[in-house]
Parts: sequence; structure tokens; C-alpha cells
Amino acid sequence: MTEKVKVRIDGEVIAATAGQTILEVARANDKYIPALCYMEGLSAVGACRLCMVEVAGVARLLPACTTPVQEGLSVNTTSPQLHSYRKIALELLLVERNHTCAVCVSSGHCELQSLAQEHGVTHVRYPYNYPKLGVDTTHPRYVLDHNRCILCSRCVRTCAEIEGAHVWDVAGRGIQSRLVSELQRPWGEATSCTSCGKCVQACPTGAMAEKGWGVEEMTKRRTVVSRLSSMREGM
Amino acid sequence: MTTAPVTALPHPEDQELIDRIIGDQAGRPGALLGILEKLQEHNRHKYLPMETLEYVAARTGVPQSQVYGVATFYALFNLDPQGTHTIAICRGTACHTRGSRALLERVKLQLGLQETSDGADKVSLTTPDHRFTIRTVACFGQCALAPVVEVDHAIRGHVKEQALIREIEQLRKESAR
Ligand code: SF4
Ligand code: SF4
Ligand code: FES
Ligand code: FES
Repeated sequence: MTEKVKVRIDGEVIAATAGQTILEVARANDKYIPALCYMEGLSAVGACRLCMVEVAGVARLLPACTTPVQEGLSVNTTSPQLHSYRKIALELLLVERNHTCAVCVSSGHCELQSLAQEHGVTHVRYPYNYPKLGVDTTHPRYVLDHNRCILCSRCVRTCAEIEGAHVWDVAGRGIQSRLVSELQRPWGEATSCTSCGKCVQACPTGAMAEKGWGVEEMTKRRTVVSRLSSMREGM
Repeated sequence: MTTAPVTALPHPEDQELIDRIIGDQAGRPGALLGILEKLQEHNRHKYLPMETLEYVAARTGVPQSQVYGVATFYALFNLDPQGTHTIAICRGTACHTRGSRALLERVKLQLGLQETSDGADKVSLTTPDHRFTIRTVACFGQCALAPVVEVDHAIRGHVKEQALIREIEQLRKESAR
């Protein structure tokens, strides 16, 4: 279970534990790999494809958040190819919904926005999808704006794995996929929501926010979910 | 077993049926899929009403959102009542180039159906009298026969507008009796 292995990340030899993922090992050793759907303390789903890395001897790119390390594994976290793929992934997230940063409560504190900036996404090269999407304002304290949802499922996993309520899930498939609460009930009428607000804190974008904030005002406590999860493990 | 508050219960007879089907499938991997499939089969209008989904969630302990996710992920499940007759029009590439859009539009016109679609690629419309459902299919795998239409589960190839219209008229007359 606690078998020690040696891996290489960007050339540097690092001691790790078998079963840890590439991303976990990288983070524990201050090696940066961009990630969006990953959140420490939640199960990893490999949904956003931002954490793709090159592994020596493997022809295709692998997601760092779901790939476990093994003895002798050699990982490359940056290359022109990785950069261009991550850029494409970000652009596709941006065109899929209506991310109008200029009027967003989370502008300036949004993980999607900062990753786009970091990758030099100054414009997108694909046509916008402009879906007609709603905003669920039925909850007394929180709002869900589908226009800004990237379907990373961090809220789904937070509510299911940390709060234990499993209010959210992803319905439909492909381009028609949507976040739903219960049987597509308005959030305010969800019978299992405890109004704990953890999903809001876990959401990387402005899709989930507290009510009452204006543009750029919604900041989130990013570490709360991970802290809760680690406290539970320690119990 | 969770006891999520149930806002509307299915008919008592249906509850019995659902309980029985859940009992039969319990413990099997992917039990939920099997349960939903059986329930839809048993439904008179071949769909899964919301009360049924809610009841299944309460009985199996699967979160409602997850039940809903499964029911909407698979194209085989319907959340709306289906018509007695089903006309499935292929909207695959081969059929498209052979005029399947015009066929679809013509049939919609004939049955007085209007798309409520929000640009969805998948169409599934049912007449208010529940006699006809028209739906689109991504490809029947019979592209050589394009355009392909399935009428009540029988495949028709090289479909001509007039022939299809006549066939639907015929079905309409039969079911009127
Ligand atoms: S507020 Fe808490 S219980 Fe309600 S949906 Fe969010 S995480 Fe789940
Ligand atoms: S609401 Fe936020 S956390 Fe939930 S799936 Fe959408 S972007 Fe992710
Ligand atoms: S962080 Fe690995 S795929 Fe999203
Ligand atoms: S495209 Fe219609 S059957 Fe293949």
C-alpha cells in the first residue's frame, strides 16, 4: 500500500508513493500542472483535460489528475504541444457557454479566466455556441447561472462526497449536458439541499455564487472543501 | 434505504410493479438501468413519469439527480408520453444529403407539430392526442438505403415524401377506428 517509488517530473527525481496520481505528486513537490475539474479532497474525474502531461514511452497525452504514478515514470509538464492543447481546451470551454466576463460576479476571481490569461488566450479561434440557458435564482441564498457552467462537476462531487446530499448531477449528454438538481427541480425547491453553500465555494467560475454581490465581488474560499475532507480523513 | 420525501406518489398498482421490478434487479451491477428499462416497457405510453423516477430514487437510495442523469443520458429513455405510432426519421449524413430534412419538415407539417427545440439536434415530438411520435435518429446504419425512416419499428428505405405521407394517413385512419 505504501510502496515507495521514484519518478521524474521535468527531469527532477522525486520520491512518491505508489497509487498517488501524477498531479498529487507534482503538487506535493511544487511542480505546477494546470487543473480545473480537480479539487483536492474530491474524487478525480478527468473531465476538463487541462492537466494533460507527456509521459515517456506513452504516445498519447495522459491526464495527470487520474493517472497513478509507478516506478520509473518520467513526466513532462510543459512543452509547446501541451501548451497548444491546453489552450484549445480552454477556448472550447469558453465558446461552449456564454462567459461574458465583463458582467460576471466572479470576474477577477475565476479559475477559468485566470487559466485563460495564463495561457495567453486573448481571443478564441472557434465560433461561439451561444446556447440559450437559464439562471436559477430560486434558492434564497445562492444562484446558479448555467451560462457560466463548465460542467467540471466539482459542485456535484462536493455535495455528494463532502456534504452527503448529492443534490447535483449532470443530465443529458454531449453538447446538451446540463447541471441538474434532483429531478430538475429548481434549486430552491430541492428537498435534499441543506443550504450549506459548499458547492458554491467549490465552483471554479461564476456559475455558482452567493446572492447579493455585484460584478467582480464574489470571492470564494477555495480551500474549504479540501480542508473539510482532510479533517474527515484524520478522524 | 433513504426516505427522500416524495411529493407525488405513483398509482398504488404502479408502486407494486415498481417494487417488484426493483426487487428483481436488486444487487445486479447497473441495476438502475435495468429497472428504468423495465419500467418504461411496462408504461402504457412508453415513458418514465417524474413520480416514477422519484419513487425509484426513494426505493433504491440512488440520489434523484443521479436517476435523472441516467434517464436523460441514454437516448432509449423517454420522459414524455410517446404516441401509439412512432415515426423515426434518420438525420444522419447520408440521409441528410438525400433530403431527410424535407421529409421531417413535411411530416411535422402533416401532423401539426411544431418544434419547441432550443436548437437541440435530437427531435422527439408527440401529437396532443398521443397517436404519433416523430423522432430523429443519428443513423440507422442503413445508409445505402438513404433516406431511411422507421415506421413502428419497421425500416423503410429510399423513402419518398408522398409514400410516407400516405402511410401516415393510413395509420391515422386505422387508429381512428
Ligand atoms: S448548498 Fe450544500 S447541500 Fe445544497 S446543493 Fe450546495 S453543497 Fe449541496
Ligand atoms: S456549477 Fe460550477 S462547479 Fe458545478 S459543474 Fe458548473 S462550473 Fe463546475
Ligand atoms: S484536472 Fe485533470 S482533467 Fe481536469
Ligand atoms: S445516415 Fe441515415 S441510415 Fe445512416
